[in-house]
Order: sequence, then structure tokens, then C-alpha cells
Amino acid sequence: MRRRALAGVVLAGVLCLCGCGGAIQPDELSRSIQSLESSAAEGALLAHDVARDRTKATFVRAHARELGETVDHEAEKLNDADAEAGVAATKVRAIDLADRISAALGRIQIAPGSETEGRAAEETLSGLSQRAGQLTEGL
Amino acid sequence: MKTILSIALGVIAAIGGFVDIGDLVFNAQAGASVGTPALWAVPIGVLGIMIFAEMSGRIVAVSKKPNFVLVKERYSQRLATFTLAASLVLTVLTLGAELGGLGFVLNYLFDVSVNFFVLVALVAVAAAIYFLPFGGLERVFGYMGLGLLVYLAASIKLDPDWGEIGRGFVPESHGAAVYWYFIVGLVAAALMPYEIYFYSSGAVEEGWEERDMKVNRANAFIGFGLGGLISVAILIASAQVLKPAGISPDSVGTVALVAEVPYGETGLILAFIGILFAVGGATIDTAFSAAYNLAQHQGWRWGKRFRLVNEPRFTFSLAGFLLLGFAIAQSGVDPVALTEYAVIFSIPVLPLTYLPILLVGGDRGVMGKHVNGPVTRVLGWGYFGLICLLAVAAPVLFIWTNGGS
Repeated sequence: MRRRALAGVVLAGVLCLCGCGGAIQPDELSRSIQSLESSAAEGALLAHDVARDRTKATFVRAHARELGETVDHEAEKLNDADAEAGVAATKVRAIDLADRISAALGRIQIAPGSETEGRAAEETLSGLSQRAGQLTEGL
Repeated sequence: MKTILSIALGVIAAIGGFVDIGDLVFNAQAGASVGTPALWAVPIGVLGIMIFAEMSGRIVAVSKKPNFVLVKERYSQRLATFTLAASLVLTVLTLGAELGGLGFVLNYLFDVSVNFFVLVALVAVAAAIYFLPFGGLERVFGYMGLGLLVYLAASIKLDPDWGEIGRGFVPESHGAAVYWYFIVGLVAAALMPYEIYFYSSGAVEEGWEERDMKVNRANAFIGFGLGGLISVAILIASAQVLKPAGISPDSVGTVALVAEVPYGETGLILAFIGILFAVGGATIDTAFSAAYNLAQHQGWRWGKRFRLVNEPRFTFSLAGFLLLGFAIAQSGVDPVALTEYAVIFSIPVLPLTYLPILLVGGDRGVMGKHVNGPVTRVLGWGYFGLICLLAVAAPVLFIWTNGGS
């Protein structure tokens, strides 16, 4: 009996820690969007140096890919999560934002030596980072 | 001058210990998340490791006994075995993370595949261990790891508010759990158990005698001091570059980017060289620590000072731990997250690592005239109390703050 009770407590704890079950909460959504904001801001910083030819192409390519994977993973998590009416619209906007951040990161990943692409990506990613910030403020 | 040049053991133990792959990112996260108010935690941790490293080096110089021999002598067989098992699990996990980190750094430089470069890193580290003498390993990885001093130059060039930095070294009360998560993590990162195992066994490898007390002190204070300085510099530079932009660093690439902002490609390359050798040093620290602990627990002959081919059990265990680390790295686990977990979950094991050092260091029967003085005794027991407190607080804060996020 005591073993079963202990197993129940452990299982409940594990489920709580995993955040399993139920719709996405505003704080979880907020964390997810903050991750997008951070990736976009970092991408903008990376693109800034691409635009000024003061970085290394292999680094840009590998790091932009890494940031893109983080953003895609976040978008997949958001897509799979159920959302209640209050946050459903924000969730959809966040997925759309993730798509655009991923595409902008892809530009410097493909052309890490192009100053023109760097400038364009910097501008896009800065704007997307700001929009992500505004999205979390509304939560 | 000779003493200054002989601080390589302290430098590699410090850099490998608290500027390794996870801690590089952890320091940057602390700077990006909390900013300079977290600075005071670094000297607290660094002073702690200086005190215990000096004590363990002194014990080796007098008794010729490294730390795990003390664990075995002072604890019951069951507790010694538990300490061994816990330290091996945490050290091998960290070793896997370091190899994975080397793969990432090499991939940033050459962009082929992380897994391929993990294999390259394994071969390079194994070759260095086999062909270089112990002193050569310390000097190559310890001194080249000082390339991380680029962060010191970066933190100055970024022109921070020095008044704010000064205030960051004064502890302040704070209500946010995330703040305390980073404070506890920064203190704990400096006190990782494998640093002290490597340091005390390294002192045996170097054949320290009573006349080497000065070398021991220089290693403990200058070597670990340099590691602390780099830690502080990364935190300050990250607070300047990442915090205002709202960037939360999750990878070593972000840490390298911090050096690129003030110095462009040159800063990036210097940062990568420093990170490569610091993480390489951590790989060597962890691989040797695991093999040293197992050999000392089992009573085998051990050490790089003998020819490795003449010590098959020690050599096979060293190779086995490297291969285990390689398997962990190839599993695709995130090396940064892995070392951060290792730091947080090593804290409950810390008291078991440090208690024997305190007991033997304060034992006049063993230490004679080199027994702990009143200042060392007070500081040592004070830090032991702090370590016990951290052992309780760290896992709680980790869960409460969702890993500092």
C-alpha cells in the first residue's frame, strides 16, 4: 500500500515537472515566445556582423542553423499544444512569427558571406524580435 | 619566476573546472539574465576552491595522499563506495558533455558535422594523454585556455559602468528565485568535485614535497584566481552584450558571439581557441579524475608519471571512461544542459568530497607543523557549512525556477 502511494506521489511529481496534460498556460506560452524573441535578437546580432564582414562564414552557417533548429522546435511545440480561447490567437501569431524568424535565419545560413543578405536579415530579425516582445507583453 | 611558471596545474584545474563548456554558458546566462548584481558569487566560490585546493595540495606534500585515498581512509567502506559511485557518474556525464562541447566548437570553425568532430576530439585528447607528459598536458591546455582572457579585454572595451560593477561585488538581498539560482550555480561551479580530485592527484603526479608549499600556494591562489577572473569577465561582457538585446544564451556559439561584438572575427577566433583548450582541459580533468578515483579506491597503481603501458588497469579505466564519454556525446544530448545538470546535482555530493580534506588538514598527527592555522580552520569549516547549505538549496532552486528560466 505504502509503495503504491509512493509511486503515485512520484508519478504526480514527474507529471507536474513535465508540465504534461491540459492546455498551454499563458506563462508557458510566454516562455516559448521569449525563446523566439531571444533567437531573433541573436540572429540579428549575427546578421549585423555578416553585413559588416566581421565574422567567420563557417560560424555563421553553423550557428544560424542551430538557432533555426531552436526556433523550429519551439514552433513544433506550439503547434502541438492545445490552447484555450484566451491564448489561442497569440499561439497562432507566435507560430507565424517562428516561421518568419526561421526563414530570416535561413538567409544568412545560405549566404554567410553576403553583406546584402546580412543587412536584410538584420533588419527583419530585429523587427521580429520586437514583435515577439510585444506579443509577450499582451499575455 | 620559476614559481609563477609552475602554476599550470592550478590553471588547468581551474579553467577545466569552472570555465568548462557548461560554465561558460552558465556565466553568460547569469550575465544575460541577472547582470552584474550576480558578480559577488564568483569570488565567494573562487575563495572556497582556493582554500580547499591549497589544503589538499599541502596534504599531498606532507602525506603523499591524494583526495580519494583520504575518502577511503576516513569513511566506512559503504560510504566510500557511495562517494566513488556518485563522483564517477557525475564526472563521466561531465566528460561526455565536454567531448560534445569540443565537437560543437570545432564545427563552428569548420562546419562539417558535430558528431564527426566529437570523434576527432576523442582521438586528439587520447593522443595528447598518451604522448604528452603530465606537465606538458597541464601547460598546453592550461596556458592555451588562457585565450579566454579575450573576454577580459572585451569586458573593458565594451565600456561598462564601473560603479555598477563595483556594486555587483557587494552581496544584496533579493526576492527573485532566479537570482538565487544563478548565485548558487556560480558558487557551486567553482567547487566542482572533480577539480579537487584532479588537483590533489596532479600534485602526486608532480611529486610535491614539503619544500613545494610555495608552488602549491601559487597554484591555488594564482591558478584558480585566473579562472575566477575569466568567469567574471564573461559575466560582465555578457551583461553588456546579451542583456540589453534580450538574448538568453543556450549554446557556446552565443558565448563566442560576445567576443565578436567588440573585436570582430579576431575576437571570435581568439574566443574559440580559448574555449577549445579550456574545454579540452576540462575533458582531461574529468577523464583523469574518474580514472584516479577508481584506481585510488581499488588500491591500484595509478598515474601518468609511470608509463601507461605498465599500468593496464589504470590505463584501461582511463580509456573506458573516455569511450563512455564519447558514447554520451554521440547520443546527441545537449552538452550545455548536461553540464548544468551535473553542476546542480553534484552539489549534494560536495560535502562528501570536502570533509576528509578538512579532517586531515586539521589533524596535527598527520600534518605536523603544516596543520591548518586558525584562519584556514575557520574559513574551511565556514565554507563546509556553506557547501552543506548549497547541497540543500541547489536542487530545490533548480526545480523551482525550471532550471533558471
